[in-house]
Amino acid sequence: MMKTIEMITEPNRRTVLAGMLGLGTIAVVPRFALAASDGETGAMAFDGDTVLVGGRTLRASADGGASWARREVPGQVLALATHRNRPGLVVAGLSTGGVAISGDGGATWRNGKAGLPAGGVTAIAIGSRDPDLIYAAIRGDGLYKSEDAGDTWALAMDRPWLDEAERDPLTLVSVDLETGMGGIWIYAGTELGLTRVPDCFCRWQDVQSGNAMDALVSGDVQPPENPLPEGRPVLSLASSPSVPDRLYAALPSGIWTSADGGVVWRQAAQEAASAIAVHPDDETYIAAIIGGEVKLSHDGGATWTATAAG
Amino acid sequence: MKPYVILPLAGVIAAAIGFAVLAQSASDNSPVGELIFLGEPVTAADLEAGKQIYAESCASCHGADLEGQPDWKRRLDNGRMPAPPHDETGHTWHHSDRNLFIVTKGGVGAVVPGYESDMPAFEGILTDDEIADVLTYIKSTWPDRQREFQAEVSANDKGEL
Repeated sequence: MMKTIEMITEPNRRTVLAGMLGLGTIAVVPRFALAASDGETGAMAFDGDTVLVGGRTLRASADGGASWARREVPGQVLALATHRNRPGLVVAGLSTGGVAISGDGGATWRNGKAGLPAGGVTAIAIGSRDPDLIYAAIRGDGLYKSEDAGDTWALAMDRPWLDEAERDPLTLVSVDLETGMGGIWIYAGTELGLTRVPDCFCRWQDVQSGNAMDALVSGDVQPPENPLPEGRPVLSLASSPSVPDRLYAALPSGIWTSADGGVVWRQAAQEAASAIAVHPDDETYIAAIIGGEVKLSHDGGATWTATAAG
Repeated sequence: MKPYVILPLAGVIAAAIGFAVLAQSASDNSPVGELIFLGEPVTAADLEAGKQIYAESCASCHGADLEGQPDWKRRLDNGRMPAPPHDETGHTWHHSDRNLFIVTKGGVGAVVPGYESDMPAFEGILTDDEIADVLTYIKSTWPDRQREFQAEVSANDKGEL
């Protein structure tokens, strides 16, 4: 049975700032402009072979986009996350605050908000190595962590600091690449680009190649880089569970892909994109919202097929 | 007392003092449990020196009890992060010996280029041995779980200093 997600009304410590920044974000981030004027929007994920598109409802296609089932959600969905090793698990970040958690592919939901402050949940990620470990970015506040599948939450770290201000993560993804600190990385897309933090939460930092630190210490030449367009919004990120080095990003400039954990990127589609997801077992099978349409690619983004309207 | 009595007695006393000093020295320089830093055994003298250096050079920001600054997960107004705790509630134990040494000596910018932090680089302030001692002291305060985790992270860190 679907449970009602309660509205969170208690103010958090940054309510005023959040409001101001929220207005600023709406003004500058094309994702929201797209929502108002340019067709399809929403968050995307793969639940096994099923493609999910979250928005005012959750749409699911188990036949490669030929047909879509529409499922109710407890609120406007801003973010979606699933996990390769737990079929049916869907975690949705809601615009009204809190997260909704489903164990049956979105047919029914429970709420998870204990310990979360008020504020829209702009991004969600599930730990690549632990489906009970969930991260949620709260607009105007910070990054929260749940270690019990969303039942309780605690602040993990403040938001990333880019160009002299904190920036909301617009997308989060747990990337199963070793940090060298006994854990793995969490990547975030912001209105000003890509950043990442180790899952020990020591510090947000730019993406650099794995041996960049050694090169820095030894004075050797730094390895080559080709970052995403500087200062541009990264609206959606996906990391292939089967090949964690393989990353995809949706930007207003299109779809971008990296084969080395985000150091070198190349453009795979040139039409504005707002969401992306990658199949759990096939790193070349991706779904995205491009030019306001849900499209699929079976070759890592080289060619795309539009799906039937959901 | 006749000289032939005094001289042997003085010798015995001197020898006793010498043995006591040697015994103390051996105690201070004996390995402390299984604790190591950068692969080297740690002595009681290292720990005591590290504790003293921590009190003098680190405690003002990271706390006398390694508790860090209040609300350390929230940014300061200047955008920088407060000093985190060095006890088991912080993230220090996630970093290898080598990483901790490099950050302490060269500042956070030595591992994350361009990163702005209120923590200074201690190169020129502390010697390499003193940096090792203070980090050893911090490690000695961790519970077994954190110490074992950090030992594994250090063992897996194959980089060079």
